[in-house]
Amino acid sequence: MSENKIVELAKEQALVLDCGKSLKSIKTAYTTYGKLNATKDNAILICHALTGDQYVASKHPITKKEGWWSYIVGPEKPIDTNKFFVVCPNVIGGCMGSTGPKEVNSETGKEYGTDFPVITIADMVRAQKLLIDYLGIEKIFCVTGGSMGGMLVLEWLSKFPKMVHSAIPIATATNHSAQNIALNELARQSIMADPNWNSGNYYNSDNKPLKGLSVARMAAHISYLSKDALHSKFGRNLQDKNSLDYSFDADFQIESYLRHQGFTFVDRFDANSYLYITRAMDYFDVSSSNNGSLIESFKNTSSKVLCISFTSDWLYPTSENKKIVKVFNTLGINVSFIEIETDGGHDSFLLEEPKLFEAMQGFIKSTYENL
Amino acid sequence: MSLINEKKDFKIIADLIPAKSSVIDVGCNDGSLLEFLKEEKDIDVRGMEIDQQKVQLCLSKGISVIEGDADLDLYDYPDNLFDYSILTYTLQATKSPKNVLSELVRISSKAIISFPNFGHWKIATSLLLKRKMPISEKLSYSWHETPNLHFCTINDFIDLCDEVGIRIEKQANLKTNKLNKFNGKNLLNSYFNEVGLFLVSKIKN
Repeated sequence: MSENKIVELAKEQALVLDCGKSLKSIKTAYTTYGKLNATKDNAILICHALTGDQYVASKHPITKKEGWWSYIVGPEKPIDTNKFFVVCPNVIGGCMGSTGPKEVNSETGKEYGTDFPVITIADMVRAQKLLIDYLGIEKIFCVTGGSMGGMLVLEWLSKFPKMVHSAIPIATATNHSAQNIALNELARQSIMADPNWNSGNYYNSDNKPLKGLSVARMAAHISYLSKDALHSKFGRNLQDKNSLDYSFDADFQIESYLRHQGFTFVDRFDANSYLYITRAMDYFDVSSSNNGSLIESFKNTSSKVLCISFTSDWLYPTSENKKIVKVFNTLGINVSFIEIETDGGHDSFLLEEPKLFEAMQGFIKSTYENL
Repeated sequence: MSLINEKKDFKIIADLIPAKSSVIDVGCNDGSLLEFLKEEKDIDVRGMEIDQQKVQLCLSKGISVIEGDADLDLYDYPDNLFDYSILTYTLQATKSPKNVLSELVRISSKAIISFPNFGHWKIATSLLLKRKMPISEKLSYSWHETPNLHFCTINDFIDLCDEVGIRIEKQANLKTNKLNKFNGKNLLNSYFNEVGLFLVSKIKN
């Protein structure tokens, strides 16, 4: 079990962001598991997804649920905390203690709200690097994460290649497709259409944009599941009733399930954070600082990489993941690739998926043995 | 499905490859051959394998491996990325042996190809006398369950190489463990070798 820690970094020198603005005294909330060894070669950095946080393998303080990757991180698990020192920071722009829209801007004494600068995936990685430097780690043994976490992994490989010994990007892409952007725009519009959003100024109000955030989550949740999984889990089954109500109540189980997903999400997530992080994902193109050339973007990468995709993931499909593999192959990077067959959809990287565990464990163990 | 699974067969292949070369083994099975090449000759090894369980085995051995299909995924590699490509006992199981062969000599300077020789006398006589599809130690599947789509004889292979502009440089004799300079097509070759193992390269225009 790890206690949540918060460290303030960039106190002297502000971090210059992609948007041109800069952030000073950046707070990063993070958890660690296991011990950093004397040679400091056993650090694993875990990057969370859009709505994830630093509670990767410990009980969430709000939901009281087990950590989002507790299947994978722990003693004798694929990421073995008896051997490795695991670090999981909350990204900047997030809402679990790292600098983000709901935190107080020390210059104004008020919450940032939409005055928070628009951040990018690269900015999140720059902030993570400050944390890694602070922890005294010169070379991270492995950087891993799924979905947006995978984007952070790719950004690490591109921006700080010498600091990464190995990497496992999972269910991700080198940039956001029009379909990805469209889905995020739908989510943002539903938040901003909620009158309680109030242009982002709701922190001191009793009325928060919970409905808008809830709908955003419902829409996103559909994209995390496969058609087959939805069908086998819910079909056209009715919720606690034998016949249709001829109303707009939740007649179907799937409606009830989605409403529940929406309701529970708003307890732990901030609407403005949702806007900022989805924007960062939409802006993401790992090749943008190299005129769109992926080859240029990874030309200094010499890390060992394992790319993983899932057959039923239509949000970040195998074809997107294979694009990464192709670029790495072209550059002669030591890349492996595995496509796991499952009907779990995009969410598969968060589920109990033995083949995922086996691949990660095999790769991590053998890579560490050959260090 | 590996035929080349004994250390002496690995040795013949290793003898064909200079130390520290870069190699891709297409249809690399559990990665044993690549592990051998890495340990014996410090070769920079990569694998491609269609069977996921075997991909997992490669990962656990620290072999970089792509889960992929020789018919579909070789196109993703640039020209001359590797010094050598290896295709052991897989050519006959591909949808298009001709394309696979062309791709192998495109992505690597030289290719090492092995396959069961359908022209071997035991197979030929089994077909001739029993009028049944041959089943032997090295061709262990019944006709209706075999993953092998395109059987060929050593002479067929030599003809295909001619057709796609590939030069055969050496041939291995797996009985004597000797590498021989290739001296062209002859009947005895196709008759007495159970396995064809060739070192080939693309004829440059």
